[in-house]
Amino acid sequence: MAMTCKDVWREVSNYIDNSISPQARRELELHLAHCRHCTALVDGVHNVIVLVADGRTFSLPAGFSSRLRARLSREL
Amino acid sequence: MMEVEVCRTATTLPPSLVRALASSLPRSVVTANPTERLTAQEAELIRRILAGEKELYYELICPYERSVYVAAFSILRSEADAEDCAQDAILKAFRHLGAFRGESKFGSWLVSIVLNEAKMKLRKLRPGLYESLDEPVTNDEGDYVPQLLGDWREIPSESLERREVRDILVRAVQSLSEIYREVFVLRDIEGFDVASTAQMLEVSEAVVKTRLLRARLQMRDRVAPHIKDSSVLSRSIFKKGKNPWR
Repeated sequence: MAMTCKDVWREVSNYIDNSISPQARRELELHLAHCRHCTALVDGVHNVIVLVADGRTFSLPAGFSSRLRARLSREL
Repeated sequence: MMEVEVCRTATTLPPSLVRALASSLPRSVVTANPTERLTAQEAELIRRILAGEKELYYELICPYERSVYVAAFSILRSEADAEDCAQDAILKAFRHLGAFRGESKFGSWLVSIVLNEAKMKLRKLRPGLYESLDEPVTNDEGDYVPQLLGDWREIPSESLERREVRDILVRAVQSLSEIYREVFVLRDIEGFDVASTAQMLEVSEAVVKTRLLRARLQMRDRVAPHIKDSSVLSRSIFKKGKNPWR
């Protein structure tokens, strides 16, 4: 059975995590092949995940480790 | 400025060596199958720390420094508060190290402590603003309709060199409701798997997946309109039916 846009929105997260069945994957990709809207959605979610996983996005504040070590030295 | 990495990532040793090391540890630290829960390096460090070598504690927690900080930040949304909280939680974990049973990964146990610490701190700092943890999860099969946005097919790794892009991402994460933010931070920023995330947040894996879907969709809707530059990511792999991202 063909997937609808709503089906894709529900499954986009599992699809990116590779945790949907091969059958559902095939149906979703069949849908994406002709739905530009859902393709943009999947690409956008994926890009966000790639960007936030990059260590540069959420880095430790400068000096964090030094201050932590200093406190551990004082209090342990 | 980015903090310089000074610590080593915990390594996993061969199972035979793990078993040999585990046999010399107190039963309170080692589970029946330590390879699943605790690396040999961590088990050995814990044994030595509990035996009095406190100076090794930093080496034990070092691989999780960023996870602890980001977890605190996900709740408190303030760098200074998150750093204080991360330090407090790391000290608290030291005081309770003897109670760590190895029933979860050490990193998960440590992050659970910082999450609880951050939630307690938030209640003290901003009691009026504290969001109920019992807030029901919105039905992700409900009325969500993604924004109609232009194509954003590139992986704009270069864009991360721009401060403004990082700021957009940080603001978007901060704007998520707490129940979505904490799942998104643990799963997508810190890379914990669904099972570990569920364990840390004391919810089911199904709840993690539901919240993660909603968080990811909201993040996309909030970030994509601000990031327009486009070199095109080839979708050729995608069209062959392979997952191009994992």
